Amino acid sequence: MPKEAMISGCAASAQAAKLAKVEVICSYPIRPYTAVMMELSKMVANGELDAEFIHGEGEQAQLSVMYGASAAGARTFTGSSGVGVTYAYEVYSPIAGARLPVQMMIADRTLDPPGDFGSEHTDAFCARDMGWIMGWAEDPQEAFDNHLINYRVGEDPRIYLPQFVCQDGYFVSHIPGKVVLPDQKQVDEFLPPLKMDHRLDPKKPISHGPQIRPDQGDALELARAMAMSEVPKVVMEAIDDFGRIFGRKYSPFVEEYMLDDADMAIFIMGAHAGTARTAIQKMRKQGVKIGMAKLRFVRPWPTEAVAAALSKVKAVGVVETQTSYGGATQGGGLMFEVCTSLYDLPKRPLVTSFMAGLGGEVVKIEEFEYIAKHLAKAIKDGKVCKRVHWLGFEPE
Amino acid sequence: MYLIPEHKRVPFAGCTPAPVKEQRMMITGNWRTYRPVIDREECNLCMNCVAYCPDACWQLSQDEQEVVWNSEYCKGCLICVNECTHGALTKAHELDFEDGVVRLEKPF
Repeated sequence: MPKEAMISGCAASAQAAKLAKVEVICSYPIRPYTAVMMELSKMVANGELDAEFIHGEGEQAQLSVMYGASAAGARTFTGSSGVGVTYAYEVYSPIAGARLPVQMMIADRTLDPPGDFGSEHTDAFCARDMGWIMGWAEDPQEAFDNHLINYRVGEDPRIYLPQFVCQDGYFVSHIPGKVVLPDQKQVDEFLPPLKMDHRLDPKKPISHGPQIRPDQGDALELARAMAMSEVPKVVMEAIDDFGRIFGRKYSPFVEEYMLDDADMAIFIMGAHAGTARTAIQKMRKQGVKIGMAKLRFVRPWPTEAVAAALSKVKAVGVVETQTSYGGATQGGGLMFEVCTSLYDLPKRPLVTSFMAGLGGEVVKIEEFEYIAKHLAKAIKDGKVCKRVHWLGFEPE
Repeated sequence: MYLIPEHKRVPFAGCTPAPVKEQRMMITGNWRTYRPVIDREECNLCMNCVAYCPDACWQLSQDEQEVVWNSEYCKGCLICVNECTHGALTKAHELDFEDGVVRLEKPF
């Protein structure tokens, strides 16, 4: 029987890895993700989980171990936070290019300097163009579910791509929430064992990652891009199966919350979507017609789903919990893709962005009210006053 | 869908059949700027070049009378020159050779 537990996002991730029967785990400590590895190492030591548990000498080594283990055909699990995520950067593209379905759990942490333990999406977000599937969870339950969904999608023979399964540090990784832990039988039905045709096999020797000529590089990159473009179809199948087996039905890419009759939308991903939900309920009681579009996958970017959700409203406030210094808005990185998704619409909503939750700062209900006030003013004026607002630093 | 021209086709994920001896899909000789040159008079067949070459580009000939250099795969690291016990190996610039890889229009 499935059972309910009050556990943190890290504990939920460890439970997901265990139920997914991961075969090789590689760890290196850094807060806040470390709690996952503490849970998993206990499970391995107690004999609850039959997996190789390897201590890497750094994050670059962690990912290199994952590369080899995955090439050997094992289901792999690793993770990191903050500067650990960026230290491993070299290995992200080779793993994706080798089409190995490595899974990496990320509990966000602000990048240095100076050392700041708070959560911010920049650590993982800046690796979004490496060919990994990537998405954020709002709470421990969604984190748990995303691990299973990502294994299922990444290991599909039509895809074979690695996955960043992200959750906000502390807000999700360390605050307990209700998680329904399914039966092993349910997970086994949803997630068959990994059978990879291009795994290393003494009976069918192949070389992984040999040098190719420069005039062959673009063809390989095209193949990686094409695999990524197949992901949405496979995600939809996985989400359907997931709902059937586990009883939780997700919107595959963009969760629409109170959008149908809304004038304005908050576009957001990760933990702060929970606060946004509460703020929207409060504002709705006051007659403010506001809703939310919560992004579940950053890669592949769900262009059509974003356009469909946001075309329902007159103004959109994009909440940016990461930085893209010097970018088109001088703010965050979600704006580029939101605006690109909306560009071809016959009638585009007004779009502006709000830097929020940087460095691990809490995003309060009042700040969502501030966003709503600005969006209402933009609708009234027929234009946005500027493209980026830094919440908590605006003079008015 | 996209059309991939024949000459650009690469096996899935760049995985190639494992080579028994030479990997035809990964010719590395065109990395060289210098190459090792052997003075047969000086060579005493100590086999250090054969032992130290990281890419097995020095091999003993069939009749075991001399060591043979593989120009297609030698990257020009010159470890063999360093390890030669008898001063038989020296480095020479690729530009000094008619068949030097830097002179080829389409290297290999």
